[in-house]
Order: sequence, then structure tokens, then C-alpha cells
Amino acid sequence: MKKAPRTALAMATSAAILGMTLAGCSSGGGEDDTAGSEPVSQADIDEALQTPTELTFWTWVPDIEDEVALFEAAYPAIDVTVENVGQGLDHYQKVRTALEAGDGAPDVIQVEYQYIPSFTLTDSLLDLTPYGAADISGDYVDWAWNQVSSDEGIWAIPQDIGPMGNLYRSDIMAQAGVTEPPATYADYATAAEQVRSATGSYISNLPSNDPAQVTGLLWQAGVRPWSWDGDQTVSIDVNSPEAQEVMTYWQDLIDRDLVGTDADFNDAFYQGLSTGTYAGWLTAAWGPIFLQGTAEATSGQWSAAPLPQWEEGQEVSGNWGGSTDAVLSTTENPIAAAALAQFINHDPESTALFANQQFLFPASTELLADESFTGSEVAFFGGQKVNELFAGIAETVDTDFTWLPFMEFVYSSFNETVGTAIGDRGDLVGALDDWQAQIVRYAEDQGFTVE
Amino acid sequence: MTTTLLPPVERPTAPPARRRRNPRDRRSTPLTVLLWLCAAYFLLPLVWLVIASTKDNADLFSTFGLWFGERFSLWDNLVSVFTNRDGIYGRWALNTVFYALASGGGAALLSTMAGYAFAKYRFPGSRALFSVTLGAIMIPLTALALPTYLLFNTFGITDTPWAVILPSLVSPFGVYLMRVYAADAVPDSLIEAARVDGAGEFRIFWQVSLRLLGPGVVTVFLFALVATWNNYFLPLIMLNRSELYPLTVGLAQQQLASAQGGGGSQALFSTVITGSLVSIVPLVVAFLFLQRYWQSGLAAGSVKQ
Repeated sequence: MKKAPRTALAMATSAAILGMTLAGCSSGGGEDDTAGSEPVSQADIDEALQTPTELTFWTWVPDIEDEVALFEAAYPAIDVTVENVGQGLDHYQKVRTALEAGDGAPDVIQVEYQYIPSFTLTDSLLDLTPYGAADISGDYVDWAWNQVSSDEGIWAIPQDIGPMGNLYRSDIMAQAGVTEPPATYADYATAAEQVRSATGSYISNLPSNDPAQVTGLLWQAGVRPWSWDGDQTVSIDVNSPEAQEVMTYWQDLIDRDLVGTDADFNDAFYQGLSTGTYAGWLTAAWGPIFLQGTAEATSGQWSAAPLPQWEEGQEVSGNWGGSTDAVLSTTENPIAAAALAQFINHDPESTALFANQQFLFPASTELLADESFTGSEVAFFGGQKVNELFAGIAETVDTDFTWLPFMEFVYSSFNETVGTAIGDRGDLVGALDDWQAQIVRYAEDQGFTVE
Repeated sequence: MTTTLLPPVERPTAPPARRRRNPRDRRSTPLTVLLWLCAAYFLLPLVWLVIASTKDNADLFSTFGLWFGERFSLWDNLVSVFTNRDGIYGRWALNTVFYALASGGGAALLSTMAGYAFAKYRFPGSRALFSVTLGAIMIPLTALALPTYLLFNTFGITDTPWAVILPSLVSPFGVYLMRVYAADAVPDSLIEAARVDGAGEFRIFWQVSLRLLGPGVVTVFLFALVATWNNYFLPLIMLNRSELYPLTVGLAQQQLASAQGGGGSQALFSTVITGSLVSIVPLVVAFLFLQRYWQSGLAAGSVKQ
């Protein structure tokens, strides 16, 4: 799932979260858990799954009770309580507060990909390797699997992903004489100019408050803005020449008033999508369904295409959003908890239910190749097979993108620097330097070695 | 909730001696305009809320905010408010009423007793204790939420109604208000007379003073009621089970589910907006009927008699 637009509350709570992360960091100390990676025997697993057990699962996914019910039917001895304690930052704060308090923490939690390192930093996640997770590593798109695992272990099971594509209003584009979706960013800029002069619409919106989307676009461009060695060393390079190139491109579109710069997921943004102020949206695989709920009146006028490419003939995308299920290391029932995290995201019936009922875009390769999933024709997109398109895009996401253990700060700092520059139509490249400086200073303050 | 406080109704009390002068002449146009602007500033969001509640998602984002959309969907929205997730909204509403009444009642009782004691008894440390109470007014409940959570967790009462009610029982402002109110409303001579008649201190408090303190008690009750009704951060921190949530947290959760995008998001905008409207109706009604208590409470202590 994408990160919440930050409100004042979110800012305040993220400060509290960081305080807690650090408290955990200093008390956590070493991360040498290799003793725990002995495989658990099948006999132990069978016995644990037949012992009456109560699990608590904190997640914000609507109606996830249905998938959990499949698990309970398969393992009648295990009783799972699903609790929705909030979404995004609220959720993480509650998890950390409960971990800090020592008890009351759940067994299984929902985590977005970019926040997994902030939990492994404090040794809060259980390594799922001994519980059979290694056996299913090949069943998920490889870049998603790379994000849930490291050399030290497997920390979560992928649930959904958000490979990015281009949703656009084919009617507005056609009015401006653009009949094919722009294949390259150069074409995209040309199309933006035609759309603006012919119809007055922006070709899309570059939000001033959405680090996750911009990170996805950087990801696509091959930018590797940061990395973490799993211990105390990070490298930060958000103002690399490649990143500057991406920002220079958007700077040009912004300066020529060819894209909107409204904050996304709020009123002006929804209006822009439903009234045609924006002729498109560079969004993720969950975007098509989301759009249907908010811009109903424009049904049938949309089309989907891959993102424009930086080089002609390339096929590369980035990811925006998606989430996983992880087991907290404090659980008293590791076998049952690991079984739950794996079952709901691996059992074919359960993954199909996620994809077709909750419309989570699947991370499971089997489902991405399944005709019953990819074959559905979506009326909102004029009968296009949108799932098939995004399943293809999912293959093209670059595999070695990683996250820092303090993405909360990185994202809030983005909003203060690059985001503000986008909103003010100011100097984006200069803002990248500010962003870099803020992250480096923060990392050093927290005791990380910055390379 | 101060936003719903309407400007006091103007009752021209033209004294007989000035009868020749038409009271209308004393109207000040700039002031009238200013007050109208203030009224508009406070009322427009409410008007928006009422109008937006009649729109479905499509109209919400494609029509002008302060006028009705193409379809009138208030009934559909109300149905979806009360049926979403098996009607959990009703549960949240009951929780809110329960938390607010329990906290309001408890806070009113405790504040009255404490304020009365501060006003009428001299005891060692009373000045210091009262200073601490005054200082506590400056500390927002929000700042104490996390420490309170850790404390409550030690006793194992997080994720229970107690976790929301107990902290709300403490109202430093209520104590201050009741001290000021009790100092004026209960004459010392009356207490003396009761003592002479042989009444114990408890009997004096319950049977004599409490009657005189009535309006003040109601005011504190209302303040605490509204504070708990609108409290968001404390229940957000304390509660994990949806079935214990009050409306504030529940609605925020629904709103986040629709405002975040991402997989599994539902477009619940009109449901959340209509739910918000329904959630403030009881408060608005309470204000209209209980205005005089608010005014008397706010005016208490403003004039030295």
C-alpha cells in the first residue's frame, strides 16, 4: 500500500516512532541470530499446527477475515483474531508501542516493503527461513522477494505489489491528436504540450506530497538512492547524476506548466482525475481499481499502458506500494504464526481471493500467469485486459532496489525539500541536494556510518 | 467544539430613559459585517458537511462543494454508514456515548469534590496542590498519552474501555472552574449554619452545597463530555479492537482506508462524510438545549461580587 499523505498528526507520530526505533536500536544491540536458522522439523510443525493456538494478526486489509477463514479451515486448531489498529504510520506506531511495552504485541503484522528494514534493525521480525519460507522463494516475483529477504534471513511474505504504469484518458489524448501512449519520456513531453494546448488539461500530476511515487519513478530510471548493509553502514545518494536527470526532466514540464503539482489523495487531486484536469496518472497496479471508485463518471474513457521509457526500446518499471505479512520475533507461537503468514499469501485459493475480491495486485507468479486473473476485461478501461498489462510490467521492475531502516524520516524529509519544491514549482535539483543533506545529517545523528 | 458556539443572541434592552433614541441607530455596520463574516467562517464547514452528505462519490469530486450534486444520495449514504462492515458504525456510536457519559459524569463528580474542597477548606498544602492543578491545565492530554499507555500496559488495562475512561476522569480545568464557582455559589455562612445544626461535612457537601453547585456541575459535565466525545489520540493509542473504537477513531480509520490508495482501498468517501455528519448531530442538539449552562459556566468568576 502506498504511504499515507502526511498530516500534522502523522508528522507528530512519526517523530514518536523514530524515538522508539532508536530506543529499540540502542537496546537491541547485536543482530547475530544465526543460531535460530536451524530448520524446524516437519514433525514439530505438524504438532504445532494441531495444538490449539490463538494468534493475533494486525492488518488494515479490508475483509482479510475471508482469507484467514481459509487458513482456519485448513488448521482448525488455530484461532486467529484479526485486528485493524490503523493504517500505515498509525499501525507501525502501535506495533512499536506494543513491542516497547513488552507485551500486547500481535503475532503477525502487515508491513509495507519499505518499512521492513526499520523492523529488522531492531530485531523485531522473526526469520521465517526455518519455517519453510525458503521453499516458496521462487513463487513470487523476484524483486518483491528480494525486498522481503536479506543475507540474514527471510523477514516477510509478499502479499501485493504495485508495479507502475501509465493510466490515461484516451478521449482527451485523442482530442489532442495523441493516438498512441507515449513510448519514451521525450514523447511524453511532446504529448504533454499537445494536450495542454489542445485541451487545457495537464498530462498528469506530479504530487508534492508523495515520496513513494517519486521513489518509484527514480527506481524506474535506475537510480539507487540509498542502501543499507543490514548493520550500521548506510550509503545515501539521492542527488546522483541519474536522479538529477529525472528531476531536470520534470522541472522542464513544471516550468512549462504542462503537469499539475497538486498534493495527491485529496480533494483537488480527485477532482482533477474525475473532471479531466489531469489527462493521466503515472500510477501503480492498484491504481486502476482505485480510479474506478473515485472517478466513476469517466468510466470507459481510460486506457492503461506501460510507463514511458528513458531510452527507446527499453522495458523498465518501478514499484509503488504493496505490502507483506511478517511475524514478530516476540511471538510465542512462531510455527503457527509463520504458517499463517505463508498460507494466506501462498495458498492458491487465498491469493486468488485477495486478487479478485480485495483487488490486491498479486505478488504470486503463479497467479500473475493465471488466465482467470489476467483475462478479465475491465469496462472502465474500455474492455482492456488491465491485469494482463500490469502482470507483464511486474516482470520488468528492476530487482536490486533496497530500503533504509529509517524510511519514515526519508519520506518526511522529502516532503520538506523536494515535495515543497514541486508544490512551489521551484528548483527541484537544488531540493535534491537539500534532501541528501538532511538524510545524511539524520543518519549520522542516529549513529550510522554514511559512506 | 468551540466552533459551534453561536454568537449570543442580541436582546436589545433599551432603557426607558433613552426611548427616543431608536436602538437601530446604534448599529455599527463594520461590526455587523465582521460578525457575519465570523458566523460564515464557522458555519460554512458545517454547511459543506450537510451538502456533501447528500452526494455520492462521483458528485463529490465533480460538482461544486457548496451546492447540491446531480443526484440526492443522502439515504443511500446513511444506509451505507450503518451497514458498512456489518454495521460497526452503530457499535462505535454506542461506544462513544458510553465513554463520553462515563467520563463526563466521573469528571464532573471528581472536579466538583476537588474544587469545593479547594474553595471551602484550608488545609496544609492546598495552595501548592492548587498550583499544580493550574499547571496541569497547560499539559494537553495528548502529551501524556504515550506514558499513560506504558503505565496502563503494566496493569494490563490497555485495549479495554477503562483505558479511555480513566484518563478522561481527570479534568484540571474542571477543578479550577468548580473552585471559582463554589467560592461564589456556596456562602460560607450557609456552611457554618449547617455545621451549627450538626451536619457532618459529607452531609453538607451532598445535601447543601451540591444543590447550589448544580449549574457548575452541569458545565463541567458538558466540557468533559465534549472533550471525550471528540478525543481522538487517546483511544487511537489505547485501543486495538475495532469493536471498542469510538466514532473519532473509527471514522479516521475508514477515511484512511479510502485516502491512501494502494491495494484493497475502498472508496468510502461519502460514507465517511455522512458518518461524520451523523456523529456531530447529538452534540449540536445538546448545545442548542444546554446553551445556558455553557454561558453560565464561561461567565463564572468573570465578575467579582
